[in-house]
Amino acid sequence: MTPVDSHGLISIRRSTHSPVITMVGAAVLVGLLSAAPWIVSQSLASILMNFFILVIMATMWNLLAGYAGMVSIGQQAFVGLGAYATLYLAIKGMNPFVTIPLAAAACGIIALPITYLLFRLRGGYFSIATWVIADTAMLIIGTIALLGGGTGHLVPGLSNLSPTALTDAEYLATWIVALLVVAGTYFLLRSRVGLVLASLRDNEVAARSAGVRVTSARRMVFVIAAAGCGAAGAVLAISQPFVQPGNEFNLQWSAEMLFVSMIGGLGTIEGPILGSIVFFVLQQSLQQQGAWYLIIFGALAMAVAIWQPRGLWGAFRDRFHMELMPVGHWVRETKRPK
Amino acid sequence: MPLLQLEGVSKKFGQVVVAEEITFQLDQGAAVGIVGPNGAGKTSLFGMISGDIRQDSGRILFEDQSVGSMTAAVRCRMGMGRTYQVPHPFERMTVFENALLAAQQGAQAHGQKSYDLAFAALERTGLAELANRPAGSLGLLHRKRLEMARALATGPKLLLLDEIAGGLTDPEVNELIVIIRGLRDDGIAVLWIEHVVRALLSTVDRLLCLASGRLVADGPPSEVLASEEVRKVYLGGKIINEAAI
Ligand SMILES: Nc1ncnc2c1ncn2[C@@H]1O[C@H](COP(=O)(O)OP(=O)(O)O)[C@@H](O)[C@H]1O
Ligand SMILES: [Mg+2]
Repeated sequence: MTPVDSHGLISIRRSTHSPVITMVGAAVLVGLLSAAPWIVSQSLASILMNFFILVIMATMWNLLAGYAGMVSIGQQAFVGLGAYATLYLAIKGMNPFVTIPLAAAACGIIALPITYLLFRLRGGYFSIATWVIADTAMLIIGTIALLGGGTGHLVPGLSNLSPTALTDAEYLATWIVALLVVAGTYFLLRSRVGLVLASLRDNEVAARSAGVRVTSARRMVFVIAAAGCGAAGAVLAISQPFVQPGNEFNLQWSAEMLFVSMIGGLGTIEGPILGSIVFFVLQQSLQQQGAWYLIIFGALAMAVAIWQPRGLWGAFRDRFHMELMPVGHWVRETKRPK
Repeated sequence: MPLLQLEGVSKKFGQVVVAEEITFQLDQGAAVGIVGPNGAGKTSLFGMISGDIRQDSGRILFEDQSVGSMTAAVRCRMGMGRTYQVPHPFERMTVFENALLAAQQGAQAHGQKSYDLAFAALERTGLAELANRPAGSLGLLHRKRLEMARALATGPKLLLLDEIAGGLTDPEVNELIVIIRGLRDDGIAVLWIEHVVRALLSTVDRLLCLASGRLVADGPPSEVLASEEVRKVYLGGKIINEAAI
């Protein structure tokens, strides 16, 4: 990027290389993915949709665990609540697509009071409590007859579109949410807050004594991650479109977020995206072999945890010294004071 | 008005007494050294002052405000900067970003001002050349300096230095002394835990001695080092040996 105003001693660049190549690449990619429903097969488009949903979740989980040190295994709480917020609003007559931002906001709002409870706990107790909260949310939702109770409910209001128009709209909604989540995370990590999150990732004790208000930062991350997972739940509800407690509140969502972020590399933006790509490539190329892709994926996760704790992206970056989404601060020129 | 006041501060970890009725004051701009054997409770004392750990009883006042219930972050923003005996760098951030975080959060500076503040802290501690290096790649000397740079970038009125010269060579210690004296001369109060007594003596005008959580001596360095209590604590002469390093 352009150097920041340099009246002082130094100027700061935000990336080591010219961002032009990255920006052109990003523009091409965004163009291609936006047009995908019209240029790729329907089955590939539907795989891409699931991929986007996983990218959203993994990106949020990475903020939680990779940066803010909160290993949540209960993010399915917000996936589920997001899905059910969409279902509820659709039942009340709202266009399901319009409910997506509302579902995200609702999850963020619900997450805020939960932090006051959760943040009393540390480490494993924190993780287990997130899971308990997710199960509690599932049980409560399962008792609401309006939302179909334990058996679930179809999201209404989608039948007025033709089947192809509907799939295209679902694709675009999912893609736009993923794009917003990844771009939003990128700009968050480039901001002052990003430096705070990086300091938490690296050393919480030092962060505190350097003036970082750790609890507020954590609270913000938890709320953002809840909103992001809520949005993922909303698009999931629209694309399924049958919403059921056992599906949307499934622990498997958190397991996938965790695996994918770990394999790709925690504490980087690119890591969870790379992890999601690996996950889908394995799943697609091994789908004839039943559950083998999960076994191989699990083995890969263990191998990465043991030999490459910074994940595949970390290994790649250490070797090639490049970042696709640079968030650093590079001191560029020093005009020595006289 | 004293900058820092401790009034009857006590703390135990289980059976281990790390602070027992510790009372002392520190004036604005003063430079005070703390000595004492390993396990005396020196680092724990810093922890209670900076807010990393909470005392069991007693009061700690900074600029006449009781800070007992404040978090470490708030105390930092009030003007306490601290370094750790075992350096705590943000390893995956660059040296510059380490200082920048402190300038943006501790000193609450924005934009170019935060860049200048961070860079000035690096220049002051001799790290400017290494600004773009990942902090995790630094050796011990530079890690120690980074601790100081980060504390400085928070814009402190009080600097808490915990064995900042420990493990360094003689010439390295000399460079450090020059830096710390410069800070003292700029009016930053320094509270400095150090085993390298020679380094302390060149900079401080008062010495405290801690042993088993008790403050056994407090006064001009020569008197403290000569006192009966301190000699007993060091089992006859160890402190002199260290002074000769
Ligand atoms: N967090 C802690 N939990 C339990 N014991 C501790 C803790 N921190 C320090 N101690 C104990 O308190 C005593 C004083 O430690 P410390 O303050 O680090 O001493 P010093 O810095 O003077 O060497 C030691 O016996 C140490 O083992
Ligand atoms: Mg110590």
